[in-house]
Amino acid sequence: MSKFNFPFIKETNELSNLRKEVREFITNCINNNEFTPSPDAWVFSADPSFSKKLGSKGWLGMSFPKEYGGHQRTALERYIVTEELLSSGAPVAAHWIADRQSGSQILRYGNEKQKSSIIPRITAGECFFAIGMSEPDSGSDLASVKTKATKTKNGWKLEGRKIWSTGAHLAHYMIVLARTSPASEKNRHEGLSQFLVDLSLPNVKITGIPDMTGQRHFNETLFDNVELSDDSLLGEEGKGWKQVVGELALERSGPERFLSHFTLLDSFINEFRNSLIHSGTKIVGKLISEIQTLRRMSFSVASMLQNGEFPETQAAFVKELGNKFEKMMIETLREFSNIVPLHEWPNQLQNLFEDATLRIPSNSLRGGTTEIMKGIIARQLGLR
Amino acid sequence: MIEELEIILETTSKILQKHVNHNLRQNIVSENTDILNLWNEIEKNGLPKISVKEKFGGYEIPFFSILPLIKIVNNHGTPLPLSETILSNYILSESDINPPNGIVTFATNTKNLQIKNNMISGEILSVPYLKLTKNLLIVHEFNNVKKAILIDEINGEIIDKKNFLAEPRYDIKVENLNISEVKPIKNNIDFNFLGAILRSAQMIGAMEKVVDLSINYCSERKQFGRTLSKFQAIQHQISEMAVELSASSAALSTITELGLGEKNSNDTAILKIRAGYAAGKIIAISHQVHGAIGFTKEYELSYFTKNLNSWRNDFGNESFWEEFLGRRFLEKNNKNLWEYLT
Repeated sequence: MSKFNFPFIKETNELSNLRKEVREFITNCINNNEFTPSPDAWVFSADPSFSKKLGSKGWLGMSFPKEYGGHQRTALERYIVTEELLSSGAPVAAHWIADRQSGSQILRYGNEKQKSSIIPRITAGECFFAIGMSEPDSGSDLASVKTKATKTKNGWKLEGRKIWSTGAHLAHYMIVLARTSPASEKNRHEGLSQFLVDLSLPNVKITGIPDMTGQRHFNETLFDNVELSDDSLLGEEGKGWKQVVGELALERSGPERFLSHFTLLDSFINEFRNSLIHSGTKIVGKLISEIQTLRRMSFSVASMLQNGEFPETQAAFVKELGNKFEKMMIETLREFSNIVPLHEWPNQLQNLFEDATLRIPSNSLRGGTTEIMKGIIARQLGLR
Repeated sequence: MIEELEIILETTSKILQKHVNHNLRQNIVSENTDILNLWNEIEKNGLPKISVKEKFGGYEIPFFSILPLIKIVNNHGTPLPLSETILSNYILSESDINPPNGIVTFATNTKNLQIKNNMISGEILSVPYLKLTKNLLIVHEFNNVKKAILIDEINGEIIDKKNFLAEPRYDIKVENLNISEVKPIKNNIDFNFLGAILRSAQMIGAMEKVVDLSINYCSERKQFGRTLSKFQAIQHQISEMAVELSASSAALSTITELGLGEKNSNDTAILKIRAGYAAGKIIAISHQVHGAIGFTKEYELSYFTKNLNSWRNDFGNESFWEEFLGRRFLEKNNKNLWEYLT
């Protein structure tokens, strides 16, 4: 079992300088009260004006080609920027999906019009995306989607429902996975296609679904016979499965899989440093060792993406390990409350902790469940 | 040099494939001609002195670059202290002592050690494969000076350890034993760090084998009319092993690339912690999916899991290195965690 390697990638001086630059920018924003660091910010904390600011700094669509307004920088540079944003709890939710996966998906499969009309706006931090994969009856079993696109004289007619779409209420577009022809008996993965859907079109209805924390980020989107133009098809008709699998690789390997609650850990350590020196060196060491390992692995996947490889399985490793780490972290902090009882923690820290505790079950669901990750790995090991 | 190393790795694999089998592992004594033949072939290819300076007849490939070799040796379950010899010879050579030919084993621990008139007394503990060799490296600090001590004739009261481990280990009590050579060790050589790295690389080699054994066994063994590998419960357990292993390998590749310096000694801690936890999980899961056959002496799984159990305890277990890592960060009062990590 040595086929899944994560080669060591060094952070060059150039990358470290970029890191410094981003960090200074963020510190300034915090000092000017432009945002308050918050947990799980890439899902919950959307601020379009902050996204626009990042766009003007050149930190969105970093690896996109210059001809579409991108910056032609490397996936490693993008990795550094996202790490800094995540670790500081910056409000990145508005543009997160567009910058992480939708933009790359359009660049890879889109036609000229799609690329030239959308990519420059993503890069400017002015165009946001939502994910159109899950449906009320299709969760982990993504190939069973029932949303249907039928050919019409002028294009396509889209009919169906998508659910759990984070930020759809703020997004301009959704990449929708739909059936364009019935599944063949042998292969359910055939007959699926991806569509680039403008969410402002008539007959698109977006309804919020409060999650268990009471906040809204989830949405259900109804496509009630939405008329799509001919060039709404993204990529090739019938090749939607292959495309969506590639999109998921972009979704799963990033540092948001282990840095979602870093602000909590950071505040925790700053607050309790003195007690930790006496009775918590071991737990701090355990957390450090796990974060550093994950950072190395995730950075290594970024370099695979940069080299044009297809690290679907490696992404599953990072996600699985990252999800586990976040759960372990919450439990570890909880254990510490026998040294300083929870009710004696400062209010803000208590809130962060409770927030994280509430939100943590979602981390091993979004982007593919633990069971799906293990299934992907098992297939690669030749067990399925 | 990379090409040179690749040829060495390939040659080593071939030698080990030819000589090592589970029978050999069950009869590790110096009279066993198969064991001697294997060692001779290893020595003929210069493997014991691979990281030794050229002036002492070595290949002078840096110790950190040859960690893939350590992995291969232990992936084959080689019942000889080649890994120990490579590290011992490296430390000797770096301390300007000409490493002897043959096997050189080391003392994992010591108790009440004293040197007087070029003679050593005290307890030398947990020495792997002691009975196969006369050469022993002891690293010890006397009056704040770390020293490498080479013994080339071992006399003393040998205490056979209980057969908890796959590799034979012994404690010895010595009195006024002659020292062959003793020299101070350079500052950049830390036996505990190097030992932790060596054991981690050994563990990763062994864990790769254990995962492969589990995959193969589950793909052949049928119950309830289908192979075990078709049960999702089994698939998920094996995936978990793979995840643990890949995280450990990632931690190892950091050391292989960066080596060991003041700045990245944290990486050693991380490696030993990561590999130690992974070994714990992989031992448990591999035995679980193998069922009773894995618990027998004749099947090779236990050779690897027994070694994993001992290596994860050598040179500091997970808790030891977690303490080290946590303390090192917390005592740097001026830095917040993210700054420290990056």
